[in-house]
Amino acid sequence: MDISTNDYRVWTEGSTIHYEGTMRLSGTDAYAPILEGMNAILAAKPDLITLDLTSLQFLNSSGINLLAKFTIEIRKQPDVGVRVLGSKSIPWQSKSLRNLQRLHPALELTIS
Amino acid sequence: MVKDYGNTATVNGADAKRVALRLMAEPLELGWHHCGVTSDFIGEYFSRSCGEGIDAVDARHSISYMINEILENAIKFRKGGDIDLTGSLEAGKFEIRITNRIDAGTAETFQKHLIKLLEREPGELLLERIEENALNPDSTGSGLGILTLMSDYEAELGWSFATEHASEGVELTTCASLRLS
Repeated sequence: MDISTNDYRVWTEGSTIHYEGTMRLSGTDAYAPILEGMNAILAAKPDLITLDLTSLQFLNSSGINLLAKFTIEIRKQPDVGVRVLGSKSIPWQSKSLRNLQRLHPALELTIS
Repeated sequence: MVKDYGNTATVNGADAKRVALRLMAEPLELGWHHCGVTSDFIGEYFSRSCGEGIDAVDARHSISYMINEILENAIKFRKGGDIDLTGSLEAGKFEIRITNRIDAGTAETFQKHLIKLLEREPGELLLERIEENALNPDSTGSGLGILTLMSDYEAELGWSFATEHASEGVELTTCASLRLS
């Protein structure tokens, strides 16, 4: 997957999914192509999926729903680990990413 | 007739720093992209004057996130018409009021939703809503905007529904405040 617009880019490298820019899409339907690409990574059942959010400056609540939905999909597959990388300099990440860990306690969250 | 839910009180007084904006429905078509530019503008506007001891980066983001979520709802559910915003900042407290028009059916559905929402702990409700969304692939909205504001940002929220003539729909004012730190 490599989805790129003026506002954001989402792309995969192996089983790492990178997110960059500002994502304010208009709802579940608008995020669907991105979720599809994320699910394709999960379908290959890698040992570890990494979500690299360190360059994602802004995510609206529909986007938070996207990450949460995907976390629940991963939770259904105990053999697949998940790691989420965030940045302390991006305020929404310290506020909202802990919810992913509450959904799936095995999720490894690093905000540095 | 006015019906209030949650906290609609305004604390900031005459000495507060203020901004007022009207997003006109015409002649430019008011749309989704106006949410981001408007919320970023107000976030930037106030973060430059939030004063000592307040993290300006966090203030800019929190103000912008809060306004963006409320404006997204206003754009999504409004029944035509302009959208008015007034923001103020005093002693580290940021307040915003966003007014738009919705139809009576939307108002009724939203009021029922608010009654349930205000009875519960927002953090618990947020996780519950996420689990429900995951089970329901047909749901188009996430419903997480208000819940993330209350749970992750500790925002105080209130909604005031004013009806004068039923045929004109309902004027909804969403009131939100944040303690900046």
